[in-house]
Amino acid sequence: MRWLVLALLLVPASARADGELTLRGVWYKEKATRVVQPMLDARFDVGEEAEVDAHFLVDAITSASVAAGALNEPFSEERWEAGAGYVRRLGDWRIGGAGRFSHEPDYDSFFATARFERALFSDNTLLGLTGGGGFDAVSNAGVPAGMGAAITGELTTVLGSASVSQVLSPRVVAGLTYDVSSLRGFQENPYRSAITAEGLVPERHPDQRLRHALAASVRYFVTQTETSVIASYREYRDDWGLRAHTPELRVVQHAGEGLELTLRYRYHRQTAADFYLPSYPSNDMTEFPFVTDDIKLSAFDTHTMGFKVGVIGSVIGFTGRFEETRVELMMEYTDQNNRFGNAVQAHAALTLPFQY
Amino acid sequence: MSRLVAVVTMMLLAGCLRVKPHQREDLSRRSMIQDRGAGERRCTQHQTGSREGADGGTGEPGGGCGCN
Repeated sequence: MRWLVLALLLVPASARADGELTLRGVWYKEKATRVVQPMLDARFDVGEEAEVDAHFLVDAITSASVAAGALNEPFSEERWEAGAGYVRRLGDWRIGGAGRFSHEPDYDSFFATARFERALFSDNTLLGLTGGGGFDAVSNAGVPAGMGAAITGELTTVLGSASVSQVLSPRVVAGLTYDVSSLRGFQENPYRSAITAEGLVPERHPDQRLRHALAASVRYFVTQTETSVIASYREYRDDWGLRAHTPELRVVQHAGEGLELTLRYRYHRQTAADFYLPSYPSNDMTEFPFVTDDIKLSAFDTHTMGFKVGVIGSVIGFTGRFEETRVELMMEYTDQNNRFGNAVQAHAALTLPFQY
Repeated sequence: MSRLVAVVTMMLLAGCLRVKPHQREDLSRRSMIQDRGAGERRCTQHQTGSREGADGGTGEPGGGCGCN
């Protein structure tokens, strides 16, 4: 990263290309888990027609237990993630690819995608197609030696996505995205046990899952008040029997030159997976081939409310090459009626645009 | 599926109503293109993906951690 900082400080007056560097800190807290996440995002123009982006982050996780209800021992863990992407414009086409790698002591994940976009009707319509695949390696390496048998597993994921974005008027743009993903392999939590009449037993999940998500969004700019209203809705379903509805509303108010205030509300409601029970009347594998203690597979609702303030450097006294710096502060509160409990998260971000 | 085809068809037909480049001042605002930075989107998607049974609808991969 040293060369990035040097590039930022030593940019010549006759700059040829643009880029930006964002430093972000995230703090997340719920009843039994706290996450501190510093991250770095960079984006560069490469010539006139291409762009490169990259990110790096660390999750520092402190939780009451490896998995709620399992070992019940406090633990700390770090997750490292790095990713990069490249996109190039070829006439009305944009073609790109991206990759992401994540490492934890008990979980490694790699995912790669390719994306094709085609602009139509004088850039009023944008069609997109994404295809990708991922591979995860799972273990229960966090279990102290002698406390249980070693468990390992592998998971492969294939993702397909189609999207269309359409300008509907000089102030309205709408979008639609359909994602389908197929997961095959180990999908349990290797630390978690389900509650049965015969006692705690390791989770047994199906080794295949087909997930569908259809999301629609509309952005409307209110000229009189300089307000952007962004409404979206996602419908989700999978072959484990889980259904979900997730509407969201964001209102971005431009308050003078270089100052924005965003309010956000998101609602999520989901049904339980077909095989989910809070506790199982038996461990009979013919009657209950799948058992789980995964809260994410239960029925629940969440409400998320938040605000964000974004301000440009010149408004708060930055000068020179830093006057275009963007500072963001964000806070959100999530009310969720499940065992995770309510959550608070805060972000602070600094975006430094530069030329080189 | 039929609803999806209908919505996509309607959106493509709307392409007949072309908005010219000089009419796109409001559409070119940051809040009308992408009001959230890459890091904020990634973090939000990761947190909801590790706390909810639903995922997707963003065109980007979810998962990638042992939060399951």
